[in-house]
Amino acid sequence: MKRTILALSLGLVCGLGAHQGWFVTHRPRPVDDLESQWEWMREDLRLDETQVARIRALHEQSSPQLLALARRVAQMRREFAAFEKARRSSGEVDFLEFARYVDQQRALDRECVDSTRRLVAATVDVMRPEQRRQYLASLGPEFEAVAASVPKT
Amino acid sequence: MEKPQDPLDSLLDRWGDTTLEPSEHLEAETWRRIAHAATTAEPERRAGWLACIEVAFARPSFTVAFVAACVLLGLFLAEARVSHLQEARSRQVVQHYLRLIDPLVEDAPGVKVVAEVAKP
Repeated sequence: MKRTILALSLGLVCGLGAHQGWFVTHRPRPVDDLESQWEWMREDLRLDETQVARIRALHEQSSPQLLALARRVAQMRREFAAFEKARRSSGEVDFLEFARYVDQQRALDRECVDSTRRLVAATVDVMRPEQRRQYLASLGPEFEAVAASVPKT
Repeated sequence: MEKPQDPLDSLLDRWGDTTLEPSEHLEAETWRRIAHAATTAEPERRAGWLACIEVAFARPSFTVAFVAACVLLGLFLAEARVSHLQEARSRQVVQHYLRLIDPLVEDAPGVKVVAEVAKP
């Protein structure tokens, strides 16, 4: 009986030890900063150092414009929330102001989409065909148009 | 022609005439035996299983195989856990990246992430 209990305990301890050891050594690191973002791109897309450096430079180049756009988007959303609040409380709609808002929103959306697509297109230009496919597939169907516009060489 | 007398016939005739009276203890005895069988069968079966397990673990080869199986199971479960986390992380990374490159993604951290890039 003693031998059986010993063997069962040994099996349990070894199993748990193996589990914990494997999990701790292979556990993916959390994505909490930009470095882990680049690390993901490098590993997942199998980018070499030159590609990483060029892609990084492209992203850093477009970041001031993206930042400005992100601020404008946030501001537009705040304005629209205020407009909607006023409409709900007073029950009146200033159609002229609303039309102006819609126009501005459309222009801003277009600008955002264009700048993002430009960045994505410039990024895939640095990649090899299989990397491009994987990169665009991971971004989702919104970027299929970019994939279509990039020459398949 | 007369058929020869079969000795079994007389016995069968006699059996048909007599009515067997069951013993007055028959029912009680039957229930006692049923109860006894019920109480002894389960522990015996359990003892049989335990004996089987003990016999198996008495063999070193079985013990080694058991420990190896435990290790493999532990590794398999850890790998399943890791790949589950990898998938979740990949989704998280893509979301994070989209927030970085697309100002229209509806999430305030987008601005924060873009600001991080803009840092010198």
